[in-house]
Amino acid sequence: MALSKEELKAAILEKAKTAPKPQLYIKDFYACDPDAKPRDVKNIANDLVKEGKMMFWSSGSTTMYAMPDRIKNEETRHE
Amino acid sequence: MPKHDTPMLDELEKGPWPSFVTDIKRQAAQSPQCWDILGQLELSFKDKITHWKHGGIVGVFGYGGGIVGRYSDVPKQFPGVAHFHTVRLAQPSGMYYSTKKMRAICDLWQKYGSGMTNMHGSTGDLVLLGTTTDQLEPMFYEMTHDLNQDLGGSGSNLRTPSCCLGMSRCEWSCYDTQALCHFLTMHYQDEIHRPAFPYKFKFKFSGCPNDCVAAIARSDFAVIGTWKDDIRIDQAAVKGYMKGDFKANAGAHSGRDWGKFNIQTEVVDLCPTGCMWMEGETLKIDNANCTRCMHCINVMPRALRPGVETGATICVGAKAPILDGAQFATMTIPFMKIDAESEYSDVVDAIEKIWDWWMEVGKNRERVGETIQRVGLPTFLTVMGVDILPQHIREPRSNPYVFWKEEEVEGGWTRDVKEFRKRNAQ
Repeated sequence: MALSKEELKAAILEKAKTAPKPQLYIKDFYACDPDAKPRDVKNIANDLVKEGKMMFWSSGSTTMYAMPDRIKNEETRHE
Repeated sequence: MPKHDTPMLDELEKGPWPSFVTDIKRQAAQSPQCWDILGQLELSFKDKITHWKHGGIVGVFGYGGGIVGRYSDVPKQFPGVAHFHTVRLAQPSGMYYSTKKMRAICDLWQKYGSGMTNMHGSTGDLVLLGTTTDQLEPMFYEMTHDLNQDLGGSGSNLRTPSCCLGMSRCEWSCYDTQALCHFLTMHYQDEIHRPAFPYKFKFKFSGCPNDCVAAIARSDFAVIGTWKDDIRIDQAAVKGYMKGDFKANAGAHSGRDWGKFNIQTEVVDLCPTGCMWMEGETLKIDNANCTRCMHCINVMPRALRPGVETGATICVGAKAPILDGAQFATMTIPFMKIDAESEYSDVVDAIEKIWDWWMEVGKNRERVGETIQRVGLPTFLTVMGVDILPQHIREPRSNPYVFWKEEEVEGGWTRDVKEFRKRNAQ
């Protein structure tokens, strides 16, 4: 990993905040640190969910990640 | 009293077969929201389109799987199913559980959900149909604390591993499927409960090539029991079958008179590789050419048994989707010893090689079998560190499955071919 764990967390959050769509696949975060192993990126993204900074969004067959504020707004819009 | 008119659904109650419409009506007496399922389904039949929306942020804290959000797109018309989430419970290995446990699960679901279930889902989970978001956390607490029961997998997670009855009831099982299934379920708890992959990933474990859990057709990683040595033959029992002392297929097809058992037409002639023959009353098998189809063993279980040097074949990349084409798994590792003492280290190594590669190379929503198809089998086998065998190829005599790498060619790709031909003229 080129970035430290905290730097990678910050990069993932920035990507989730600025991406055009609120839900992102785990692969979308790989570019945050191209030197990091996919499993490390996955573990850090899941840590962010545990910390309440990100949320899972699942279609049932696929699971994506999202910022709570952005995804809650999106969900409410569809109700 | 029915809440909606459902003339089209009512037609489905008229045949001689069990009707899910009758079942739902019966359940609606206790759970009135079930009337709205019927009303919405009738509307879907009329409109010829589903009125379910699925997906969302529902789940229980710390878990990224096990609950599938489901909503009605006509909630004002059918408020009872405005939110109708599905909960998947992990099944025990081999699906052994007591009626007491089943009643407790049903009572739990009557309390927190619609009371409707699907036993079992195609991955094997105990599927509980229909609850609202506010019921999820209390239901999860009671389920884990009082019933000692966990959620299964969904989304881009490892799905709930599933296995056949294995050695608990079957003499053909070549390894302990339940032990391996349980071990990997516990070993990969994080992958089952939190998303890890580009798409879903399924393990299935069958004890013998009869493959009773259809691992080869439905799982990304199929572990199918096999043997390395010779089929064990009891020639006295072979003669017994020929004389009619024992029923073929252990009497499984005895509901009809099939005439006298004929070993030539019912066993020898049906061997797919033609590796069996009779010498007088002695059955002979050329074991090197046996493909483990199990037909002869199934027909004469008293006379034939799998060998004693047992293990499993690893097949990778099946999928059975509704919308796209189904695909069988590809035989990847012909034989692997399934060793509990080493904590199944060979199986774990193979799984993690696949995951590390697929997480990097696989596209979003691409099953590992589709990734293999896209990049080619030779690339995948190189990743797995497996030497390519003719058995990896459907038609090895006509398919040029050997591909040279640049470093294996003298002078590489830039060598002077004309010069080479001068010395190696054909």
